[in-house]
Amino acid sequence: MLTNFTSIALTIVGALAWGLLLGGISRSVTARVHGRIGPRVTQNFIDIWKLFRKTSSIHHGGMFWMAPMFRITGAICVLLMVPLVIGQNITCNMSFAGDVFLLIYIMFFGCLGMALGAGNSGHPYAVIAVSRGLAQMSAYELSFSIAVVAIAVGLHTFRVEGIVAAQQAGITSWNIFRFPFASAGMLIAFLPMQMAYPFGIVLAPQEIPIGPPTEYSSRMLSFMFSGRALFGVAKLLLFVGLLFGGASSWLSLLVKTFLLYMYPVVVSSVFPRFRTEQSIRFLWFVPTTLALVDLVRVML
Amino acid sequence: MYCNQRPEKPGNKKEFLKKITNMARANSLWVTAYGTGCGAIELRPLYTSRFDMERFGIAMRPTPRQADVLIISGYLATKTLKRVIRVYEQIQDPKYIIALGSCTINGGMYFDSYNTLNVLDKYLPVDVYVMGCMPRPEAVIDGFSLLMQKIKDGRAQGWKHYKENLDYYRENQKKIITDWDLPDYNW
Amino acid sequence: MIDKVKKELDIRFPLLKLVREQHNYLHVKVAKASVVDAVLMARTCLGFTTLQLISTVDRLEDDVFQMTWILENQGACFVLLISADYPRENCIVPSLSQMWPTASTFEREIFEMFGISFPGNPREGEDFLLEGWKDMPPMRRDFETEEYSMRVFGERQPREHLDPRQYVGDIVGEWNTPMGRKRKEDK
Repeated sequence: MLTNFTSIALTIVGALAWGLLLGGISRSVTARVHGRIGPRVTQNFIDIWKLFRKTSSIHHGGMFWMAPMFRITGAICVLLMVPLVIGQNITCNMSFAGDVFLLIYIMFFGCLGMALGAGNSGHPYAVIAVSRGLAQMSAYELSFSIAVVAIAVGLHTFRVEGIVAAQQAGITSWNIFRFPFASAGMLIAFLPMQMAYPFGIVLAPQEIPIGPPTEYSSRMLSFMFSGRALFGVAKLLLFVGLLFGGASSWLSLLVKTFLLYMYPVVVSSVFPRFRTEQSIRFLWFVPTTLALVDLVRVML
Repeated sequence: MYCNQRPEKPGNKKEFLKKITNMARANSLWVTAYGTGCGAIELRPLYTSRFDMERFGIAMRPTPRQADVLIISGYLATKTLKRVIRVYEQIQDPKYIIALGSCTINGGMYFDSYNTLNVLDKYLPVDVYVMGCMPRPEAVIDGFSLLMQKIKDGRAQGWKHYKENLDYYRENQKKIITDWDLPDYNW
Repeated sequence: MIDKVKKELDIRFPLLKLVREQHNYLHVKVAKASVVDAVLMARTCLGFTTLQLISTVDRLEDDVFQMTWILENQGACFVLLISADYPRENCIVPSLSQMWPTASTFEREIFEMFGISFPGNPREGEDFLLEGWKDMPPMRRDFETEEYSMRVFGERQPREHLDPRQYVGDIVGEWNTPMGRKRKEDK
């Protein structure tokens, strides 16, 4: 019991640190693309500590306070269900048959909590951003779910550990090679999940400056940033497990998540932003069709 | 809780890990994106590749809720002062003000204008003045580094001063804003 | 175009005075009773459908406000300025806001800055730039702007005023007179 608790706590702290570090690296990379020097790699830690120590006197109702907690809760749930490193005790945090479906649902739990909280704040920009975000979410969730179902059906297992275990026979057995279309759909859906351009219509700094967290301040904002970092790592782990064969050692885990994290960063630093309807139209058609191709192939 | 109640006076409470917190505050200054005068144009180069402020951890925030620093960039009309007060009081503590340009120090070239206030620190607590008309981006960076040093030493206490002497500031503000239609406490 | 405009205006307004003309620009002065007729005529018969600006000059020496309506015929690239003098005391000028909705905004500004009343402007008296202004309208030339600024805003230290002639010396005198250098040589 104690070791279980320790392993959970270690997972969360480690994921938080890794997520914040990745965020700092991505800020540096974006700055280099702009021709700037960019902030320190540890800038996100400093920001979070500063925000945590600021006072807060803003109150917009109960849901407003709970939204960052929802986000963190969703992130931790996802984190604990995804295997970190194969064959180590610390990694089998929680795992049961059918957890793929639970993951698909719980990944959007945090977003829904944010939507309620931001809506409760009553700021018009937040409400606009929430409506955009939910519309976009329903678009990419479809392709993501179809792709996951295609992979799960193809491998005859509804357990994330099973999916990871099925990819251990060398690089060619990774799902990205066995299910190329579904993987392409998932990787396209990964961009709006990370709020990367060209799908960054939720935070859209040019029209609805920073969107949902407009009214959030100090401690709430620091929770929200931590939640985002945790959630980012959880998503990375899930994608590494589903598509890239999981990780057999800590080093390969770090390398794989780092490379996967850099993909939306690089894409978003060279692309402009879609308008809302362009983004949603693209997400309804292209990744969904790709995922459906593999689902039909698997069914036949 | 807010808008109808006087803010509590912040005493000299003992803070947990005060030195580390002050270091964090100094190295992560978030600026409210609000320009009051001509200096707002001079701030733009700071965020682009030549003078890159982000390497000091300074970032723009579009909302006062998340910001630490308010930059009074240049001359301040009485009409703008009303909005500035509102914005300043919505920033969460601790908060700092940087005033740019000679207009905020003694009126500058608008010293005899009917609509531009001359001495800013009668109305708002200023932590750092940057002189010049307008200050070049290098001067603004210098002002920021001075503010960082003050925060590290724990001397940037303008927000405490404002809360403790609220009556004095309110009296001055109400003297020039003749149609005062703000709530008395905007926290 | 210029001949046509001059002919048309000459026929109808015998008291008209020509102030200045260029190839695409004509400035005329009419009696204050016939201003509205002249503007209407220019709009309907001569195609001056755009109101660029309503400007006011305070001629304290003549005790008049010179009002100027700047109209433009965009097809012909021609600008027509119609001016009239109004006495400064209780100045009342007809409003053109029924013809051009934009005129309403100009008239609000002039009311605020000069205290000139435009009966017929639906938004007259609304705050435009100055909120809660109680003093004399500030753009009148008998408004003591420096005295007002000192009284309301105050200053950190009273400012020294230096006469440039004494401060810099004879060079200024040389530059100020058109033939300064020559005259010095004569001596």
